[in-house]
Amino acid sequence: MHHKSFLLTGLGISLLGIVWFSQGVYIQAKALLAQQLLQSAWQETLKARVQVKPWSWADTWPVARLTVASQAVDMIILEGASGSSLAFAPGHLQGTAAPGDPGISLISAHRDTHFSFLRHLKLGDSMRVQNSRGEISEYEVMSMTVKDASEVPLPQPTSNRGIMLVTCYPFDSLRAGGNLRYIVYATEKDSDLRPVLSGDI
Amino acid sequence: MNSRHENDFSLEFLMGLLLSIMSGFFVSMLLALLVMLLPGISQAGEAPAEVSSEYVKKSEVSSGSVLLRTERPGLYRRAPILKTDVHMRVNGMLVRTRVVQRFKNPGKEWLEGIYVFPLPDNAAVDHLRMRIGDRIIEGKIKEKQEAKKIYAKAKSEGRKASLVEQERANIFTNSIANIGPGETISVEIEYQQTLQLDKDRFRLRFPLVVAPRYIPGVPQAVEETVAGFTGSGWAQNTDQVKDASRITPPVADPAMGKINPVSLRVELNAGFPIASIQSSYHPIVKKSRSPTEMTVSLQEEQVAADRDFELVWQPLKDQLPRAALFSERRDNENYLMLMVMPPDAEHSQQQVLNREVIYVIDTSGSMGGTSIKQARRALQYAINDLKPGDFFNVIQFNSYTSQLFNHSVPADQAHINEALRYVQSLQATGGTEMATALHAALDHKDDKGLVRQVIFLTDGSIGNEDALFSIIKNNLADSRLFTVGIGSAPNSHFMHKAAQYGRGSYTYIGKIQEVDEKMSALFRKIQMPVLSALEVQWPDNAQVEMWPERLPDLYAGEPLILTARLPVLKDKVIIKGKSQQQDWQVSIPLLSDHQSSGVAGLWAREKIAYLMDRLREGDSQDVIKKGITDLAIEHHLVSQYTSLVAVDVTPSRPVDETLSSKAVKVNLPAGWQHDKVFASLPQTATDSVWDMLLGFLLIILGCLLSLYFQRRNLHAS
Repeated sequence: MHHKSFLLTGLGISLLGIVWFSQGVYIQAKALLAQQLLQSAWQETLKARVQVKPWSWADTWPVARLTVASQAVDMIILEGASGSSLAFAPGHLQGTAAPGDPGISLISAHRDTHFSFLRHLKLGDSMRVQNSRGEISEYEVMSMTVKDASEVPLPQPTSNRGIMLVTCYPFDSLRAGGNLRYIVYATEKDSDLRPVLSGDI
Repeated sequence: MNSRHENDFSLEFLMGLLLSIMSGFFVSMLLALLVMLLPGISQAGEAPAEVSSEYVKKSEVSSGSVLLRTERPGLYRRAPILKTDVHMRVNGMLVRTRVVQRFKNPGKEWLEGIYVFPLPDNAAVDHLRMRIGDRIIEGKIKEKQEAKKIYAKAKSEGRKASLVEQERANIFTNSIANIGPGETISVEIEYQQTLQLDKDRFRLRFPLVVAPRYIPGVPQAVEETVAGFTGSGWAQNTDQVKDASRITPPVADPAMGKINPVSLRVELNAGFPIASIQSSYHPIVKKSRSPTEMTVSLQEEQVAADRDFELVWQPLKDQLPRAALFSERRDNENYLMLMVMPPDAEHSQQQVLNREVIYVIDTSGSMGGTSIKQARRALQYAINDLKPGDFFNVIQFNSYTSQLFNHSVPADQAHINEALRYVQSLQATGGTEMATALHAALDHKDDKGLVRQVIFLTDGSIGNEDALFSIIKNNLADSRLFTVGIGSAPNSHFMHKAAQYGRGSYTYIGKIQEVDEKMSALFRKIQMPVLSALEVQWPDNAQVEMWPERLPDLYAGEPLILTARLPVLKDKVIIKGKSQQQDWQVSIPLLSDHQSSGVAGLWAREKIAYLMDRLREGDSQDVIKKGITDLAIEHHLVSQYTSLVAVDVTPSRPVDETLSSKAVKVNLPAGWQHDKVFASLPQTATDSVWDMLLGFLLIILGCLLSLYFQRRNLHAS
């Protein structure tokens, strides 16, 4: 009789571990899977030229597509940088220029999901952004900086295109929290403003 | 047997529990260690271990002091504390101001304080004095780079030093090296300026805050891949504003409360009986010493440096002198400052000309809060003021420029109503791309034969002044540009200069209650210039250098103020002009019976301003730089190319102790919204890795336990 209770204790601990583990996996999986759903919402956005909610209860919509060939990154960016939208995709900070539009847009995402690739970016790396009109602009990484979150100036839109990718820092920290942000700044290299409405960009 | 079994059971249970608790404890300790170590490791590469004593935790701070966040979460650094005392002495039109900045180092480390501060835009800074205990060290004027070197040398040798540099016509920085732990150094800066006179009101301003400037252009790459600040400020340098990081001091979060207290005292010798005197934005205490003399100080002993101080006084009716002359003799030259009031235009009936008025309103993020409300109110006032027969249009700009109408439309009721609705809906957001707005306002093809006026409402929080000035200059044609400064800290250098290039005038509105009064004064004034085609006749053969070189048109209530240098004072000077088809002239005897110190400095400051204008217009930089440097050194003035530097003779910091450099934080101007100017960033990390790691370890632990007890049971049976 008693050996069973010990066995159960062990199994209980394992079960707790499994729950905990899957919670972590869930966060990662949500981030990955949501992108698949968002890709189809994005194609619809480009075709219909309207804001398409990726699922009926969403309070956000895709605003741009970001690709970084050197990092095999291809992801859809959602409007707004709230905690709920960041679980699915990088979020465009409202009030800054829309990604791919003239001006500097600020995009943030979690350092352990979508923006884990930021640490591997180097000066001069290029990335492309497609806006909701299908126009594609190409950017070149100009700087990587670490700043306190309260000291990151609001990017003021200018006539030049630029994007600021922001995520938490340091990358290796196990827990969430902390005030430091890693900021990758990229400016427009050259643009092909003819709309590309489907397929690879 | 049974009892033994039971004993065995409870023992084993206890053992198992103890084991799991201990392993749980061990695992969490291990994890905690990992959490502590990993960020530490990742940072060690970029920031070598620093002396830990200069960091403090929030809990260690007992009284109000300013803390700077550091790269280590939860650890703060004490910023140098600054107290400012301002003492202004007014004599007629001239003001001599002494600003004492006391820097206190509250920490345990040697500090370098860097403070960015504003001064009035016509201030001629000519004195720097550093006080260490009883000792006084006088500052010397040097060429800018040379001054920098002298300062850097003193800094590295551990000697106290102070360096005052001009960043913009109205923004200065003061760097103070080697402030010892717990030590206070006071730095005195003196400058000369003239009063503003508008109608019969004298205005004295003291700016107390540098507003965050909009920095257009593309941020330029910083050299390091991972770096903290590029300068001490919050903006990165961009291709259009090369010194962005130098004119953008870090801004204190409003939650920390106001910092940098200021006390202020004005000794006023008006030169005429004072009828009324008031402070526009701060409560004051007045003490009359005679009908013409008064002492004014702030009611609260100290105010936070977050909005400008303005004192306004008026003479008794008809007591305002129509003309005044101030002179100073220096190095065999006579320097003059001349003030002449134009004839009063109010009694004469004027023919009202129809106008084409273009209203331009800044709706950028920096206009958020009360500024946009003031601007809307001012604009509504202005639109309601239009007369039948006038034409108008409304242009708003932030990151983009948009016009209400495609071109100017007649000011009929339908158009006016539409415009009023449009203005009411304006919101402040985005950047300050002023260039396209200026083009939109100034470029026009159809000539309606009307007086064309551009009314430009903005806080002027931009860093690319020079580019904008040249747009105004090149595109003005027959338009006149009137700038209206909005908010608690408009960039008045930009406003004044823009109006000067635009051949109009500048109006400042500091609070919403003033909108109607100031706007109506502006519109009364700009109906028609009172005096035009002004010229000055000096005595024959006099070798005169006069600034401004070209005299502007004068509007009602505006005095003519000019400065001149000439070898001998004799005879008289005659000023001529046209006032509504009539000739007007006044002659002033050139006497030198009374000396007013500071006039020479004002003259030099005007000449420097003129030379800087020439630089904007494309003159060779080398020639202008040399001209300004020589002039500024001769007159002991801080300029774009010269700085004041004071160095202590004896070293005070032991060379083996390190010096950290810290910018002194400044307040956001009153009415500004913090999140409108600074990005409010979301949390951008999840606990996924932590969850997975912890879960994984728990699974292993559970499995091990099960396995262990299974084995044991097998063994037992």
